[in-house]
Order: sequence, then C-alpha cells, then structure tokens
Amino acid sequence: MRVARTMNESWKSYASGSFFDELITPKGQPRAAARGVVRLLQKLPGQEMAERRAAAELAIREMGISFTVYNEAGNIDRAWPFDIIPRVISARQWQAVSDGLRQRSLALNHFIQDIYNQQKILADGVVPADIVLESSNFKPQCMGMSPRFGVWAHICGSDLVRDGDGRFRVLEDNLRVPSGVSYMLENREITKRVLPELFENYSILPVDDYPSQLYQTLASLSPRERRRPCIVVLTPGIFNSAYFEHAYLAQGMGAELVEGRDLMVADDNCVYMRTVDGPVRVDVIYRRIDEDFMDPEAFRPESLLGVPGLMRAWKAGNVAIANAPGSGVADDKVIYAFVPEMIRYYLKQKPLLASVPTWLCMREKDREHVLKNLDQLVVKPANESGGYGIMVGPHSTAAVRRKFARLIEENPRNYVAQPTLALSTAPTYIDEAVEPRHLDLRPFILQGRDTWVTPGGLTRVALTRGSLVVNSSQGGGSKDTWIVEGKA
Amino acid sequence: MTMLSSVAERLYWMGRYLERAEDSARLVAAYNHLIMDIPRAAELGWDVLVRILDAEPVFYQQYRVGNEQNVLRFLMAEEDSCASIPFAVRWARENVRTTRDVLPEETWEQINELHLYVTDAAEKSVGRRNRQAFLEEVISRCQRVNGMLSSSLPRDHAHRFLRLGHLLERSDMTTRLMDVGTGEILGRAGTHEATDPLIWTSLLQALSSFGAYRRMIGPLVQAEEVVEFVFQEPLLPRSVAFCLAEIRAELKPLKNHERAMRTLNRGRRKLGKLQPEQMSREALHAYIDEFQALLADLHDAITASWFQPDTP
Repeated sequence: MRVARTMNESWKSYASGSFFDELITPKGQPRAAARGVVRLLQKLPGQEMAERRAAAELAIREMGISFTVYNEAGNIDRAWPFDIIPRVISARQWQAVSDGLRQRSLALNHFIQDIYNQQKILADGVVPADIVLESSNFKPQCMGMSPRFGVWAHICGSDLVRDGDGRFRVLEDNLRVPSGVSYMLENREITKRVLPELFENYSILPVDDYPSQLYQTLASLSPRERRRPCIVVLTPGIFNSAYFEHAYLAQGMGAELVEGRDLMVADDNCVYMRTVDGPVRVDVIYRRIDEDFMDPEAFRPESLLGVPGLMRAWKAGNVAIANAPGSGVADDKVIYAFVPEMIRYYLKQKPLLASVPTWLCMREKDREHVLKNLDQLVVKPANESGGYGIMVGPHSTAAVRRKFARLIEENPRNYVAQPTLALSTAPTYIDEAVEPRHLDLRPFILQGRDTWVTPGGLTRVALTRGSLVVNSSQGGGSKDTWIVEGKA
Repeated sequence: MTMLSSVAERLYWMGRYLERAEDSARLVAAYNHLIMDIPRAAELGWDVLVRILDAEPVFYQQYRVGNEQNVLRFLMAEEDSCASIPFAVRWARENVRTTRDVLPEETWEQINELHLYVTDAAEKSVGRRNRQAFLEEVISRCQRVNGMLSSSLPRDHAHRFLRLGHLLERSDMTTRLMDVGTGEILGRAGTHEATDPLIWTSLLQALSSFGAYRRMIGPLVQAEEVVEFVFQEPLLPRSVAFCLAEIRAELKPLKNHERAMRTLNRGRRKLGKLQPEQMSREALHAYIDEFQALLADLHDAITASWFQPDTP
C-alpha cells in the first residue's frame, strides 16, 4: 500500500467538476471559512492522516460497542461510517439558513393548528382540501385540539441540500419522529479527539447544549407550572434502531426513559409512570414512537407498544406530547410543495429559504410532464422516509422507469417528482485520497415557548462515488458540521 | 429520586442472576472437590447437582443419564439451560444492558467481559483439566462486579433493589446447598459416618466459610453445628440469618413494604425455630423445603409490591 508523503498532492488534484463544493472553489482554492482546515490537512503526512482515521474508527467502535450491542438481538450493526474531514459553513451564511428554518417551522405549526381547527387555508383554497383530509397522516382524532403556544411539531428535522449554485434548499421536513441528533453530538466529540489542533484557531459554534435546549423546550410545554416538570422519553424499546439515541437524550435531560408499559392513564385522565414509590404524574412525553402505535384506544388497537388512554389524557390537557399526535399531516411530500404558500398565507412573509420545485402527480398536467421526463427526475412516494421507494431517473434502468410509470398511474396522489439536483460535494477521505462526495444536512428546529435551531446539524454523506443517496440505512456516512465565526 | 418499577425489577434480577452465577460455580467447584475425596464405594452421583437446582425435568428432557459429562455440560456450557452458569451470566448482562444509566460506568464493561469469558471458555472447561480454573475465574469475576458496585453505587433505589435480588438469591442457594448434607437428596447410600465430615467440609468451602467455622466454632466439623452456623450465625455474610437481616434493612425505607415485611418476619421466626440437634435428617430436609417455599413467597411479595404496582 503506497501512502503519499503528505496529503498535499491529493488535495492539489482534488476536483469536484461542475458541482458546488463546500470547501474548495472551482479554482481549487479553499473557501474562506474552510481555509484553516484545508491548510492543516494539506500539511498532514499521509501516514498520519491514516492514523487519525484509525483513531476515529477506534473511538466509534468504543462508542459503537454500545451501539452494536444494543441492537445485537435485532442483528443490526449500527457502527456508522464517519469521515474525519469536517464540513465548514460560515456563521454569516448559516444565520440566513437558520432564519429560514425558523420561519418554516412557524408556518408549518400554524398550518397544523389551522387544519385541526378552523381549516381556513382549505376554505380559502390555498391548499386543496382533499389532499389534506384524505391523507393517512391527517388524524381526525385530533380535531379541535389546541396544544400550548399553538405548537404541534416541537422537534423538526429538515433535510437541506445545496444546489449547483451553492444555494441551500429544503428537501423535506420531518415532523413525526426525526432522529439523528445524537450522531451530530457524537461526531463533534470524535473530531475533538482526532483533530484537536483544528479547534485552536477556529471559533466553532458548540452543539453540545442540544440536550439542555431540548429540555427547556419540553419543560415549557408542561401543563402544570412546576420548577421541574416530570419529563419522560417514550421509546418503543431496545430493539428499535434509534434506542441508543433515546437513551442518550433521556440521560442528557435527566429524564426517565420509559416504554409503554411503564405508563398508565388513570380515571382522572392523567398519565402516571409506575415507580417503586407508587404512581408519579407525568407532565411531558417526548415520544419516539410513531403515533399509530401510541395509544391502542385511539389508533391501532393491536399495538402493544403504546399506552391505552394517552390520547384522552392529551385531549384533556393533562399531558403534553411532543411531537403532538397529528403533526405528521404536514410531513408529506405533497404538502411540502405548499409550504411557500403557507409562509405567505400565515406569516405574510416571503419564504427565506428556497425549496425544490415539485410536480404533483395528482395534477394531470404535472403527471404528464413527469411521465414524459422520468429519466431526468427524482420520483418519491409521498409518505415514505429513509430514502425508500425513491427512483433517481438518471441512474435508473428502463425496467425501473416502467415500474414507476405504472405505480404513478395507479396511485397518482402518492407520488411527487423533482428535478435531479446537482447536490453539493465536500472533500472526503476515501482510501488514501481526498475525493468529492455528495452530501446533505439535517438541522433540528426546536419550538416551544421559544424557537431554537441547531448550529449546523447532521451532515450525511454518500460514500459511494457519484451516489446521491445519503441515508445511513443505505450506505451513507456522516461528517462533523462546523458553523465558524469570522475568518480563520 | 424515585425509580421506574420496570428498572427496579431489572436491577433485582440482575442481582439475582449475578449471585446465581457465582453460587452455581461455587456449588459445582465444591462438589468437584468432594467427589475426588469420597471413596468409590460411596457412589455419589453427579445428578445430585441437578436435583439441588430443581432442574431434573429440564435435564431429563435432554439427557438420558445423569453422568459427570452430561451434568457438567448442562450446568457449565449450555447457555439455554435455565440452571446453567452461562444462562445466569447472560441474563445478568441483559438486565444491565437496559439499566446502564443507573449503574456505574464500568458495570457494563465488566459484565460484558464476564459474558465473553464464559461464552469463550465454558465449552472447553467441562472436562476435568480446565474445570476448576474456569469455575474460580467465574467466581472471581462475579466478585469483581459486586465489589465495584458496592464501592461506587450510590445507596439509593438502584442499590436497594440490586441488593434485594442478591440477598434473596444467596439465601435460596445457601439453603439448597445445605440440603446436600441432609442426605435426603444424596439418597440413603450416600451418607455414612466416614463420608459425612467430608461432605459438610466441602459445603462450608462452597460458602467460603470453612475458615470462619474453624475460628468461630472449632476444628471439628459436625452436621448439627454446621447447619446452625450456616443458618443462624448473624455475623457470617453467607448465613441465612445475615441475609434476612440485610433484606429487612433494605425493605424498611421502602413505601408499601407491609406485605414483604410480614413474609420476611415469618422467615425470621422460622429461622429461630431451627434446632438441628433435635431434628432427624428427614425433618431437616422437610424444614429446608419449607424454608425455600417461604423465600419464594418473599419474592412474590416483592414483585407484587414494587414491580407490578396497581393503578391509582
């Protein structure tokens, strides 16, 4: 195995082609915010770069021990691939994105509140009523509810991409049970361990106060005014792939990690957890369990994961649930296309953050366009997450396109299409060289009494050359994401 | 700071399984010694071990004969047999896995290492050559976990429920061990004058209490005195009396302890009535059976009071 003397050679030959690159300009120079990182990494001997990566892998295995072991019974190996070269974004640039995310989250919450109450936006014809009311994510059980502050989606994970011009665009909003925040926190820990000298000359916004921000958001929802409300994290259990994150966040907030059977709803319509000192009343539930499984009385009767009567308690205003049941109504790729309209409608503002042009196959004209241009578009089912059921036109075979054409004709409501984006790239350490790889970004937006956006978020990177699929369930990795102040 | 019932229950079982792993290793090690000392004619069988652990039905589903090889494979190497050391270790570990956040950081690491060791070594330790070393290693690793817990776990509910499980299991295993000496379990042929002191000595050794016995009682090992010592000596940490007193101390500060306390007090009264010098072997055996039933009642009381609390 030949190892280059320093990494300089590899950085010099780095070229991202026509894509926007996060760290390197088309002329091959480091972008201002990334200069310090790139300079230092260029000087590193190849051997040492390899050692740093090995150190990161070791650190992950050590943390990963808890990971793999947690999932052992389910046979899922969660040791996630991590790239040691951080992604750097300037604070100035981030501020604009952060404002856009805040605006979006406000509008989405207005929308959910409206849908379960007056439905003005439907009456005014801004969003077609049938696509909302016929969606499986619309929960009639929630009609008439008005959670504290009118906020339903307290934790939102929005997926952002940068297009060929380097402009951030929202790809989708995850309002049900978005995950990944613990990776964001762990990634920073690993980078601190393996590239400590980078932190000397940079002012990098810290991410590690996420658990306390989450705590404050959840505490603000408490129906009882108490100095320390009783907050629990509701997990489906140890066999869930995100169990590690559930335990991590519960511990970080000093909250109890509970399963459905630890909770009960009494005749007074309050939620209690079963403890050795007797029942203790719960104020706020951070649920990491899908709403369909949350309460067998209200949703799926066969669910064993949930708590019978939870909806009753919530509707009586005796417990706060984050995210509120029914929030998923705004988490649908058809609804997504209307978010800019919502911003104008509810906030009387111009959208600050771009989204991606979307064709709705339910509209005849859109459908014709989609069917004609399948080989150039990305086709997505309206209701899947995790990158499942997606067709990337330019990478597809004729047979797959025929299959999707049939699926679309059979169920047009369930499909949307978007142009294939020239996703941005960032230098990624592959084997012994630095190569461009495509990536996205998932920031988390917290909303309770106040709104808060993570500085940065979780960067996911497609480790296969040319691939656009970043999902960890499909061979994606991740990078530490830095929001840096001033110039390095 | 209160504790979820489900977490308390897992800690309780963690305490039980860890103690069970250690005590089973002690039992097999002591018996292993004993059998080498006993003249051939005495014909002690290995199946005694299966009987002590109340595992006969399961054992005979799998094996036809209770010989050395089969019994030791059953107790030392089969992770799926509920009376085995690997089974106890696996379940101790499973219970730590979901309670890591209330235990000291090293607990998971240590219990994981214990599990790895047992998984790796059990199979090749069934034979005579490696057997003793394996059992000693299991005992010492269990002790390491217990030592670490007792030196760093805050004395809150986590400690309390772990300790309840640990003490209840220990009382149970100690009474089972004593039952070997009654001869009822050995079958008539196994007991006569010549082998008796050997058996009682090995039982004391299994409890790490032979030295203490010599110092506190004397050098002569006699059945009645051993039984009295192991059941009633308040200063001996492996004695039943000691365990019950400790259980009482743990139950006392808990809310809703009435039922468990009543059951415990029944046990303490029963313990006071034990007079080995006036009891036949049959009577002693019957007494031990009753005592074990009482411990099972105590387990039920703990489960009902704290792990399955009623709705308000």
